[in-house]
Amino acid sequence: MGPARCSGVGSGNSGAYTTEIAESLRFEEEIHSIVHPSLDSSPAAGGSFTALLGLPANQAVELLHETGPSEAPGSAAAPSPTGELWRLRLGEHAAGPLHLPLGCSPTFPSNAALVERAARFSVFAAEDSPALSSGGGPSPRLKAEPLDSDSPPLLPIPTEKTQRPAKRKECEKSKAKGPAKKSKSAEENTAAAAKETAAENTDGEKLPYVHVRARRGQATDSHSLAERARREKINARMKLLQELVPGCSKITGTALVLDEIINHVQSLQRQVEFLSMRLAAVNPRIDFGGLDSFLSAECGPLATANGRGGVALDPALWSSHPVTANGARWLPQPQIRHVDVWPTQQSSTAWTRDGPAHPHALLNPGASLVGYDPASSVLLNSNQLKTEL
Amino acid sequence: MITAALISKRNPEGSTSENKWRTGARERAYRRRLVEALCRARGGSASGPRAVKEAADSALALTARGRSRWSRAILFGRRGGNLLLKARGRVLVRRGRPRMVAAPRPEGKGVRDSLRTLRWLVPGCRKVSTSSLLKESADYVAALEMQVKAMRGLFGV
Repeated sequence: MGPARCSGVGSGNSGAYTTEIAESLRFEEEIHSIVHPSLDSSPAAGGSFTALLGLPANQAVELLHETGPSEAPGSAAAPSPTGELWRLRLGEHAAGPLHLPLGCSPTFPSNAALVERAARFSVFAAEDSPALSSGGGPSPRLKAEPLDSDSPPLLPIPTEKTQRPAKRKECEKSKAKGPAKKSKSAEENTAAAAKETAAENTDGEKLPYVHVRARRGQATDSHSLAERARREKINARMKLLQELVPGCSKITGTALVLDEIINHVQSLQRQVEFLSMRLAAVNPRIDFGGLDSFLSAECGPLATANGRGGVALDPALWSSHPVTANGARWLPQPQIRHVDVWPTQQSSTAWTRDGPAHPHALLNPGASLVGYDPASSVLLNSNQLKTEL
Repeated sequence: MITAALISKRNPEGSTSENKWRTGARERAYRRRLVEALCRARGGSASGPRAVKEAADSALALTARGRSRWSRAILFGRRGGNLLLKARGRVLVRRGRPRMVAAPRPEGKGVRDSLRTLRWLVPGCRKVSTSSLLKESADYVAALEMQVKAMRGLFGV
């Protein structure tokens, strides 16, 4: 689009460029004069806009249309050429925001503000000096002829433009359509700028829901943010689980931790099963009379209530299982110490064997609650389970 | 209670699920329910260990007051009406918004398999999301530990 357009226009409008530039600074009237090379009084900044932006004339015109056909009359009322109503309109559009930062000097090259604005448009990204120099060729495509003159070759501008912060592009983008009308790649630019500005906007400036400063090197769109939040939630819960399961704090790596957790859950379930099996075996003989202390019992050591008749198990059974090896860990209560016997066969035989011999209630409401730390007992048991099973 | 104190020191945060399970109140509640269930079971079915286990698990689920997903699954799974009646209105059924967003990518094949195994282990967590699964399993582990402790205490160990 660029070069072809520029070629035709550039030829005869060089004189008006400076004028255009100067006028662009003052927006309305200046724009008018720019539009009309004939009208042009101060040719200083004439072709500034188009040259700056490199927009082809037609695109500029189109942009003009985009920005607001309705405003044409208002701006048209302004000074001169009626043909450029739309341009004026657009110019006003652009004029508004541009007004503030712009300086006063009409001379284009020296106008920092203009340069700034030009940079904002970032139209020059696609354009290069050759394009600009070609006279901002868009004129032939411009519907309005005066537009042709708006493409002065502004060589210094492109360099500056790229340096501008991209954020301004967004503000400028929509409003800059007017001034950018002449630039060749305005559309491309806006498309590119849109992406950039969108990216930048979401970078913590204009998030609709939460203002999050994106971390360095991380994506910032809403999807990745949600993903990140979710992932952090999962990690937090994982850490909770890790603390819960003994021995998982040292393990690094999700898979291993999960395996450990699974083992723990399985062992706990198996323990419950064994315990329930034992309970089932003892059930017929359970004397629930002495349950009061059990029900009110805390987990700590309790006074023995041997007299009440809570006999756990036959010492023979007790000695037969491997726990005696670990006897040091278990409370050395000489008497009835019922330790978990994990070998099922052993326990079942023990049950049957000892059943008749011990009519006492198995339930020992707190008498044989051993004085060791219950938590450690559970842990010991689970460890034992793991070793034995 | 020493246990509870120790553990609560480790987890200073307010009311995590495991803290609730470690308190003595829960255990007492569980024991009560367990004994009731055992009496009932003894009178009812034969002394099958399975019945005992089921009774114990149901008692555990009741003690959880239906606030966790697995407890609800247990309660609803065991011949529906019975256990709900036993709960006598103490089971809170919180209809949460079902999470449509399941776990997209739990990073790694091994992790995924482990998560799947975990789903099998924890009752009622077949289709929940990963984060819910982890939360439920934490609650479940705490509850199981309490159950084991209580049953052992029952035995006098």
